[in-house]
Amino acid sequence: MSKYPEYDHSKSRAWFDRALNVIPSGIYGHLGPSEGLFLPLEKWPLISSKAKGTYFWDMDGNRYLDFMCAYGPNVLGYGDADVDRAAMEQLMAGNCTTAPSYKMVECAELLTDTVACADWAFFMKNGTDATTFGVLTARAATGKKKTIFLKGYYHGNQPWAMKADYPGILPEEVANNIIVPWFDLDALEQAYLENGGDIAALIAQPYDHGNFADNRCATKEYWAAVRKFCTKHGIVLIIDDVRAGFRLDLAGSDHYYGFEADIICFCKALANGYNMSAACGKEFLRPAASSLSYTGSYWMSAEPFAACIACLNKMKALDTPALFRRLGEQLTAGLRDAGKTHGFDLVVSGEPALFYLRIANDDSLMLHQEWVAACVSRGLFLTSHHNHFLNAAVTQEDIALAVDIADDAFSVVAQAHPELDFTV
Amino acid sequence: MKDAKAMAYVNMYGVLGTLENLCAMDADAQDVLEHLKKPVSLCFHVKDGPCCTFHFTKSGCRMTEGEQGCTCKMTFSSPEKFNALIDNSKPGLPTKHPAQVLSFLLGPFTALTNRLTELLRPGEEQLRDPAFFEESTLLTMYTIAGAISALANHDPISRISAGNTVDGQVQLGIAGKLAVTICVKDHRFTTVKAPCDSPRAIMEFASVQLAHDLFAGQASTINELCKGAIRLRGMISMVDNINRILDRVAVYLG
Repeated sequence: MSKYPEYDHSKSRAWFDRALNVIPSGIYGHLGPSEGLFLPLEKWPLISSKAKGTYFWDMDGNRYLDFMCAYGPNVLGYGDADVDRAAMEQLMAGNCTTAPSYKMVECAELLTDTVACADWAFFMKNGTDATTFGVLTARAATGKKKTIFLKGYYHGNQPWAMKADYPGILPEEVANNIIVPWFDLDALEQAYLENGGDIAALIAQPYDHGNFADNRCATKEYWAAVRKFCTKHGIVLIIDDVRAGFRLDLAGSDHYYGFEADIICFCKALANGYNMSAACGKEFLRPAASSLSYTGSYWMSAEPFAACIACLNKMKALDTPALFRRLGEQLTAGLRDAGKTHGFDLVVSGEPALFYLRIANDDSLMLHQEWVAACVSRGLFLTSHHNHFLNAAVTQEDIALAVDIADDAFSVVAQAHPELDFTV
Repeated sequence: MKDAKAMAYVNMYGVLGTLENLCAMDADAQDVLEHLKKPVSLCFHVKDGPCCTFHFTKSGCRMTEGEQGCTCKMTFSSPEKFNALIDNSKPGLPTKHPAQVLSFLLGPFTALTNRLTELLRPGEEQLRDPAFFEESTLLTMYTIAGAISALANHDPISRISAGNTVDGQVQLGIAGKLAVTICVKDHRFTTVKAPCDSPRAIMEFASVQLAHDLFAGQASTINELCKGAIRLRGMISMVDNINRILDRVAVYLG
């Protein structure tokens, strides 16, 4: 008998059906079901009505303890009072104006004071904008055309960052991409030689936090060697910190791993949900960054800058990276122990602030998907093949509730599979 | 965007490979086989391409790789020449028992391939017959299943998808009707036209109608997935990669 009854999603589903009528796929991209994260579909809420702190509510009024945090932007808690106040005050003072607000300057000053490798900051809207800026800057600065990626990469959805087998992508658009395995320094040198040194950039996330596989943390030694490789060959080292940024280290994930990027890209945790992204870079790249033809209608809007300033200051005051590590370790230990009680081998990987989960009792993820679905349909929002996120609104009571729902969900899955041996 | 060698593998394993299923499912095809005077094993040998033998008996058709056991053989000097046979019915060069080849080709084989073409490229009027509609759709699924592995192994774009696919078996099916298995080992794909015991991933279409609409390009895989009409389970990255290869199947067979 389940302690937490399953939610009914009929109203949310009705809204999703309305979405399907007028929007391709209803909800496209990572927030919707098209990427295979919501299995089976009927267990997921799909459409929300409101959010506060570390919770959101669906159209049926069901409440979810959310460890996906809108896939990262919710870093302080939904509707954080300090950030929202700063944003609203700026909104009243002026937002999208002909002459950009002084808030942009303040925001750039705060970022360059906060991020270790930053001599300047450049603003845009999405993570893809920032990574694209990074690659364009590297090409402009070096006069070279190829980019090294690490296997399993995701750096946004511009054609240059995709793969030749993706719909709509031409082979020519990715012909200058070189893919090497993670943690293989010899492969880097080999790629450099094989391509005659015509390499403008190496772009990578700070550690291997790809999907469908246990996440692999990097070491300071690895990054020191990659830094040395890039410096030796004049390759611009771009760190895509869109996902992990400010959750490991407020000075940047490169700082966390003991090295300095040439360009570092931020988005998700930058402004607690207000829409902006940023790239920060080293002095020697300033001329190249200035030379780009690169802007957008809303890239200098002031409201997100005000939110970003408030968000960065509050993250500093709370020391959120340390908080997230503690919360992540505590939560995942609880989840792992709950699984063990019912005979499940729950593997936890990656950095605790962005923990990745996988039930290892089978190699198909089917049991894992069942467990995640059982959690979600009882109010604990997890995901089946993506890393999770923590936010600063998570309390000890939330951790206890998460572990209790997870424990209940483990028992539901165990009972549904009498054919499997879950003997502890 | 089409590679001639990959097309030859699609034609061999996807299109002609469906003769096995046609002979098992279709009354007209079974009637053709019933009139065979003796078993015939016809080998298609494509230089720099596939080589398979189709064994026809009164009880059905079986496809094997290579030329072992063939009673007659047709050789093609290039993948393009073989593709012309499929596209334009231009025969290749009989190199073993030419009289038997010509007799079989012009008689039973033509009757079977004409019937296969009728079912794989049906007219709107024919599809109004529910039985024809279902048979056509199921045979199309078998053709696509064969084409998936052919392209995964030989199409340059699909090789990228195959290179990102982990080992295991993916079961593709139409609920309550049929299931096929794509076996992946070291990024090489093999199609088995039967369900499997322990799939690592499953993709199942809710109905024959949906399968038809997807195959005919009248429905979107992603849209139907979002509606819940396509059920997924397991290692979704495998299904993702197969879906990318399916896009290529549409290019080759469209």
